[in-house]
Amino acid sequence: MTATLEIEKISPENTLEACARQVIVSYFREMMSYKEGAEDGTDIEFVHEMRVTSRRLRAAMDNFADCFPEKPFKKYYKKIKAITRTMGAVRDLDVLIARFQRELVILTEAEQADIRGLIEHLQQEREDARKPMLMLFAELEATDFETKFLEFFNSSHRTAR
Amino acid sequence: MAKVHTIIGVKPLGSYRENARIILPQKVEEVYTWEPFIHDETRQEELHNMRISIKRLRYTMEIFRAAYWLPKTGPKEVSLTHDERFAKLLAVIVDLQEILGDIHDCDVVLEVLTDYACQSECETSAQGVATLIDQTKEARKADYKVFLEKWEQLSTTNFKQKLLSFLAS
Repeated sequence: MTATLEIEKISPENTLEACARQVIVSYFREMMSYKEGAEDGTDIEFVHEMRVTSRRLRAAMDNFADCFPEKPFKKYYKKIKAITRTMGAVRDLDVLIARFQRELVILTEAEQADIRGLIEHLQQEREDARKPMLMLFAELEATDFETKFLEFFNSSHRTAR
Repeated sequence: MAKVHTIIGVKPLGSYRENARIILPQKVEEVYTWEPFIHDETRQEELHNMRISIKRLRYTMEIFRAAYWLPKTGPKEVSLTHDERFAKLLAVIVDLQEILGDIHDCDVVLEVLTDYACQSECETSAQGVATLIDQTKEARKADYKVFLEKWEQLSTTNFKQKLLSFLAS
């Protein structure tokens, strides 16, 4: 089930603290479900979906910061921000490459040669941009980030701030 | 990118419904802090920041959608109408985000093409790059015009007030 569907099931009379945990955990799970595809890199949609969901997760965390103890919350928030940033660098290049590839059809053969050169240049940049993303994924695994994040946000912190 | 505005007055032990009415109006106000800059098409950074604020508002509206469903005691038709109103307001926000996204894409493409043209000028005539620069400039101009027309139309129909009233309801 997508996070959006889970969030729509929230009971509005529940406390914000309880709902905040539900929203954050739902988005986090959805975001992580795209990680393997993003790592593989063949289908550009995985990077796109992972980045978008990380943004939704950050929006939720921005709104719900007061529901959690400040110090550990900030640590998790910082890591999610790093995920958005590294995914963004790859996604921006995917978008540019796809756009220039689409635009080739409206150009003359000589003009196409120029743009093909640019596309090759961007593809190389994309390879470079994937490196920090893959390094971050490796770090998340090495530090068991997923388990720790879920443990933290699945627990109640009623005396947060 | 503009920093997210800190949300004030959140009540962790208050209901989800109550907090939606505390948080969402602040997100609307964040969007409107960029309004003074939009009549100048060269204010790329502010237009981009408005897009980011609109995106934050959109995501926050999606998060709190359940907080605007009427209690089940009311007639079913009334609940549906209320949710339809929410959906319509959300659609306006998504539409604004998309057109500002198109403008931003053009700005990024122009920067990439211009940089590439400078690099390759010595080697080739880079006619393809010049052609795409011209086309992207035209597209940007057209997208900006569409955005401004949409914004003006929303201002004329008092969209901000309608949105705030609904979100406070």
